[in-house]
Amino acid sequence: MSAAHHEEETVTEGPKVLATRGRVRTVQVVRPNPHDTSFLAATATGLGITLKHFARNLFLPLRSAKSRAKAGAPVDESWKNEIETVQYPDEKVTYPERFRGLHRLTLREDGAVRCVACMCCPTVCPAHCITIVPEESNSKSIEKRPAIFEIDELRCVVCGLCVEACPCDAIRMDTGVHAHPVEDRADAIENRESLLGRGVRSIAHQGGEGPDWRATAAEKSPSGDVNR
Amino acid sequence: MSETVTLTIDGQSVTVPKGTNVLEAARTLGLDISAFCYHPGLPVVAQCRQCLVSIEKNPKLQPSCQQVVGDGMVVHTTDPASTLARKQQLEFTLVNHPIDCPICDKAGECTLQRLYFDHDNADSRVDTPKVHKDKAVDLGPHIVLDQERCILCSRCIRTCDEVAGQHQLEFAFRGDHEELTTAPGEQLDNPYSLNTVDVCPVGALTSKDFRFTMRAWELEATPSVCNGCATGCNVEIHHKNGRAWRLVPRHNPQVNKYWMCDEGRFTYHSAREERLAAATVDGLPAGWDRALASAAKRLGVFLKDASQVGVVLSALHTNEDNFALASLAKAWGAGHVYIAGKPPVPARADGRLRVADVNPNTAGVKAIAEALGLSATPAFELGTTLPANLRALVVLGDVLPGLDAGKLRELEVISIAAHERGPVPSARVALPAADWLEVSGTITNAQGLVQRMHAAFGPPGQAIPAWEAVVRLAHATGVKLAWTHPREVFKDMTAAVAPWKELVWAREARPLALRFAGSRG
Ligand code: SF4
Ligand code: SF4
Ligand code: SF4
Ligand code: SF4
Ligand code: FES
Repeated sequence: MSAAHHEEETVTEGPKVLATRGRVRTVQVVRPNPHDTSFLAATATGLGITLKHFARNLFLPLRSAKSRAKAGAPVDESWKNEIETVQYPDEKVTYPERFRGLHRLTLREDGAVRCVACMCCPTVCPAHCITIVPEESNSKSIEKRPAIFEIDELRCVVCGLCVEACPCDAIRMDTGVHAHPVEDRADAIENRESLLGRGVRSIAHQGGEGPDWRATAAEKSPSGDVNR
Repeated sequence: MSETVTLTIDGQSVTVPKGTNVLEAARTLGLDISAFCYHPGLPVVAQCRQCLVSIEKNPKLQPSCQQVVGDGMVVHTTDPASTLARKQQLEFTLVNHPIDCPICDKAGECTLQRLYFDHDNADSRVDTPKVHKDKAVDLGPHIVLDQERCILCSRCIRTCDEVAGQHQLEFAFRGDHEELTTAPGEQLDNPYSLNTVDVCPVGALTSKDFRFTMRAWELEATPSVCNGCATGCNVEIHHKNGRAWRLVPRHNPQVNKYWMCDEGRFTYHSAREERLAAATVDGLPAGWDRALASAAKRLGVFLKDASQVGVVLSALHTNEDNFALASLAKAWGAGHVYIAGKPPVPARADGRLRVADVNPNTAGVKAIAEALGLSATPAFELGTTLPANLRALVVLGDVLPGLDAGKLRELEVISIAAHERGPVPSARVALPAADWLEVSGTITNAQGLVQRMHAAFGPPGQAIPAWEAVVRLAHATGVKLAWTHPREVFKDMTAAVAPWKELVWAREARPLALRFAGSRG
């Protein structure tokens, strides 16, 4: 778009300069019309939509149940399931598989805590809600572990970055559990024991072995020549 | 300088002193050739081959750390041959490397990590099991070795040989079983041993003191000067959450080169201990106002005849603190002026960095007292010849040799100190001061160099810099001292002390987040 073209465009909103005399400018202010700014019409439309859904929820399942009954199907209470709501807490919807619930710390095969207190998760956490104090462990190959591991679930923004950052598959958010309601802020702090209490054993290789390099190299190289 | 040599590196011409190596010449151009075993403070061994470059008219690649520059030399660092050589060399180094980064203390400041990202950043091509070696090998009182992580650069061996003058480390075995060990019958135990941890380009050597406390990238670095002795090694305070986690040396060719001693590194511990965080009157916590009023009342009686008042300057405090107190002593016309400091430790002096005088500012406080025309006596003599007319004593610092608690109680002692030790518990009034990690100021080392310290974090509780406490005490006793910033004290001080006439106050240093600092060692 050329600059000249730009200038020709008419001003539809905001002040429009009608005349300039020295430092005095006469402007015309174009205001949106009151019909658009009152939101009355929009409110009515919204209410209409709500009512429509209400009516459909109420009558549609009933009508389909009636028509099923007419067709000879047994009459039961199952039509209530078609109403788009659940009777919480008696009923619960199933969450998607990747729902991020309360954190847990996983265990190594021998039952020791997998976390090596590398500090990647507190570093990446945007809410600064992870506190780790490392200590020397008695294992000869994995020398470090957390003495204190705390997550303030009230501050957590449930972003899942801690899980992404962990090089050890030590922290996960796959419990499917909500953060519990608490009466005291301090009670929302999960500690090493409570996190491990939800823990599962992880069999992921700790120490790092990559995929077969030949497979990946052949994929990358069009000629399939892996001896670059 | 004497002769210079001009050469071309990657098409850029550079002139350097004769005898410089190609790697250093490239660094002056801002070209960072990868290197492991080369350290500017150590002899060159060209052992790691990580710094290979192409030199025209030379059929083979040359290690740039060992190659001395020649006139008209044409060096290439980005040509395919040398780039590939360095990349492959790095791959060799990584063949048996355990990739322990999550538990490795060097992660975040590791040269191997940095070079991997710079050079290769590709998956490992090795599918045979790695050679395993011992982990967490205890080398001595301060250091733990991880033999798997060692890349056999020999920097630590040379550091012991050159900096401490003691041969305590060696390589044993050959090929991929080669490993670092202590020399027969030796431990890694010398007064400079922790420098090996700094120079180690990987996390093979770790300091027991720092190990597993903090990750490097969490820390912030503030430049300062070690207060462990009169050498005044330049250091970086690595701190986080209002406390220091380690001290590491900062390069200063005039003072400490690249090194510092182990004892100096540990001084940050005592800086946290027994802190005086609130003003006290008769040993009980009081607010600043009450403490100052009480001090003024007690001193006021004797200030009518100021020959009854003594002032103790401290060789452990900054020039500014001492200048403030010396100025106050002069304004009062105090009858006695002393200089306190820790007694010398002759066994420390080794002709390297460590000296017998364990006070960081002996030279400074002497120069100040002399410039202000105060005849200052060492505080050691206080105990033997307690002057008959001495009634009140204003003491800077927490060290006062020669006077025991009983004798101190006979006097009206006003303390300005960071710690509740030495004379402070016996003081009638104690005013809390900042310790050296928390002050912005200058100290003068044994060579007479006035060096600048920067505050890494704030002092605890009600503590304030000692010079400011002196200003408050001065106001309470009716003496006007108008300083509001150490820079102003410094300005008046350099005007008064002739040898420091030319000195200027350096800009405040902002702490550098180590996550932006690249690799260290
Ligand atoms: S989910 Fe996000 S906010 Fe919560 S602990 Fe993990 S990184 Fe922090
Ligand atoms: S990232 Fe994983 S291993 Fe590292 S501290 Fe967090 S939970 Fe532990
Ligand atoms: S321990 Fe560190 S400094 Fe010593 S040879 Fe090994 S890698 Fe080099
Ligand atoms: S030699 Fe002195 S100044 Fe240097 S690090 Fe040791 S104690 Fe500190
Ligand atoms: S740095 Fe040149 S060979 Fe090691």
